[in-house]
Amino acid sequence: MTTGLGSEAAKIQPEILRRIGASQAAAHTRNRIVYVVVWGLLAIGFIGAMVLAGDVDPTFFIESGPVIVLQGAPITIFVCVVSIVLATILAIFGALGRLSTNSAINAVAGFYVSLIRGTPLLVQIFFIYFALPQAGIILDAIPAGIIALSLNYGAYMTEIFRAGIQAVPRGQAEAAQALGMPERLLFRRIVLPQAVRIVTPAIANDFIAMLKDSALISTIGVRETLFLGQRIGRTAFEPIAALLIVALVYWGLTILFSYFQEKLERRMARGDR
Amino acid sequence: MDKMRRFAILPIAMLVLAACQSADSGDPSSPPTTEESTAASTEESISPSMEESEPAASEAAGGAICESDPGDGYLARVCEAGVLLVSTDPAYPPQSSLNESTGDFEGFDIAVATEIADRLGVEVQFETPTFDAVVAGSWSERWDVSVGSVTVTEDRKAVLDFTEPYYFTPAQLAANAESGITDMEGLAGATICVGEATTYLDWIEGSLTLPAEAGDVADPPEGATSTTLPTDLDCAESWRSGRSDFDGWLSSITTVQATIDEEYPVVAVGDPVFFEPLAVAFDKSVEDNDSLVEAVDGIVAEMHEDGTLTAMSEEWYGGEDLTTQE
Repeated sequence: MTTGLGSEAAKIQPEILRRIGASQAAAHTRNRIVYVVVWGLLAIGFIGAMVLAGDVDPTFFIESGPVIVLQGAPITIFVCVVSIVLATILAIFGALGRLSTNSAINAVAGFYVSLIRGTPLLVQIFFIYFALPQAGIILDAIPAGIIALSLNYGAYMTEIFRAGIQAVPRGQAEAAQALGMPERLLFRRIVLPQAVRIVTPAIANDFIAMLKDSALISTIGVRETLFLGQRIGRTAFEPIAALLIVALVYWGLTILFSYFQEKLERRMARGDR
Repeated sequence: MDKMRRFAILPIAMLVLAACQSADSGDPSSPPTTEESTAASTEESISPSMEESEPAASEAAGGAICESDPGDGYLARVCEAGVLLVSTDPAYPPQSSLNESTGDFEGFDIAVATEIADRLGVEVQFETPTFDAVVAGSWSERWDVSVGSVTVTEDRKAVLDFTEPYYFTPAQLAANAESGITDMEGLAGATICVGEATTYLDWIEGSLTLPAEAGDVADPPEGATSTTLPTDLDCAESWRSGRSDFDGWLSSITTVQATIDEEYPVVAVGDPVFFEPLAVAFDKSVEDNDSLVEAVDGIVAEMHEDGTLTAMSEEWYGGEDLTTQE
C-alpha cells in the first residue's frame, strides 16, 4: 500500500514541480520583459524629450559624440581607477590609525578624516591645484585631480575599512593569537583579508560614485568627459546636446560598472555559503 | 619570510605610482605632467588647418631663435625643453576651440601660438587652465605663455608681462532680441551679462584701465549692473534657452556676430564701446622671463610685418583683418 502510494506520488510530484517551476520561470521571464520594456521606453522618452526641448541638432550626436566618448571617457576611467587604488591604500592606513591604541596616531587619522570630510571636494581640488604651488609643490592638472580624489575618497573609505575590520569576528584574531601569531602578521593574514571581503562591495560603490565626482576636476583643466563636452558643445553652438552626451557617458559608465559590481557581489556571496 | 612579505607592499605601491605617471605622460589627450610627454602631445596639438599656413610663414621667419644662442633665463629653459607650453581655454570660438569631430585645438589663438613656437624652434603644447586662473598670474611654470586673447590692462600689468598686441577686437554691446532693446539708451538700468574675470566686467563696474594707446573708452549705460557667467558665450546661451534674467550682454564683436549668425536671439546694440588690445601674456612672477618676453615680442612684431597675422585673422574672422586698430 505504501509502496503503491509512494510510486503514485513519485510520478505526480515531479510533474507538479516541473509545472510549477515552468510557470515560475515564465512569470520570471514576463517580469523581466516588462522591466526591460518599461525601462527602455523611459530612457528613450527621456532622451527624446531632452533632444526636443533642447532644440538639438541630431547630426551633432553623430559628428561630435564619438570624440567626447573616445577622448573623454578614457581619461575619466583612468583618473578614477588610479584614484580608487590610491584611496584604498590610504584607507587601510587610515583605518589602522583610527583603530590604533596610540593616541597620537589616532589623532592624525582622526584629523585627516575630519578635515577631508568637513570640506567640499571642489575646494580640495582648487586647494591642491592653486594653493600648493605657494608651498613649492607644483602639480599638473591630472596628478592634482588624482591626489584630490584619492585623499577625498580615502577619508570616506577609512571609515568603511574601520567598520570592516571591526566586523571581523573577534574569535578569528583570538584563535590566531592562541597559536602565537604575532600581531602584525595576524592583521595581514587573518583580519585584513576578511575585512577586504566585507568592504569590497562598498569600494565598488565608491568607485561608481567617484566616476561622477571626477567631473569636478574639469574645473582645473583636465580634459575629461565634461571638459570636452562643454568645449566642443560651445564650438558647435550645441551646448545642450553636448551636455546630454556627457550625461549619457557617465550614465553608461555607471551602468557598466554597476553590472561588474553585481557580478562581484554574487561571486562573493557564493563564497559565503 | 614574514619580513619579506611586509616589504612586498612597498614595491607594489611604487608600481602603482609609476603606472600612474607613465600613463599620464603617454596619454595624448591629457594635459602633460612633465616635459617627457612632448613627443606624445605634439601630434595632437597641431591642427591641420594651421599646417597649411606654416611653410610660407617659416620661410619668412628665417632661422629659429632657439637655433642661435638663446642665452640663459626662461628662453633657454624653453629651448632646452624643446616645447612651448601655451595656455588656452578652448571655450572661445573662433579664437580657441576644439574641433567638433576630431577634438583637436583650432582657432586664431591656436594658429598664432603654433606659429610663435615654430619661430622659436620648439614644439607647441596646449594647457587648458580656466581664463581666471590665467589672468590671476602666478602660473608656477605650469605653462610658459598665454596666447589666449588676453586684453592688456594696467591692472593686469601688475601680475603679467605683455608683448605688443597681436590683434584688436572691438567690444560690442548686445541685447536679447526678445527684450525689444535696440539702442544704448535702452540698456540704461539694465543688467548686463559678461564672462567671469573679463575686461567687459571691469568696464561695467567702471574699473577698466586700458593703456593709453588703446584709444577712447565709452561710458557704460547709466545705472547698468553686471552679472557674470563662466564664459561670454554662456550669456547668449541663456537667452537661447529662454532665460531673461538679464537684457544686455557685452563681449567681443566677433563672439556677438557668431551668435547672430547661429540665429541666437541676439541683436547688436550701438557702436563698439572700446577697442581691446589683445596680447601674448607671461607670468610676471618668473624673475628671469625677460629673454622669453623679448623673443616672443620680436616674433609678434615680425608676424605683423610679414602679413602672417593678417592672413590668420582673415582665415578665422571671416575675411576681417583685426590686426590693426581701426
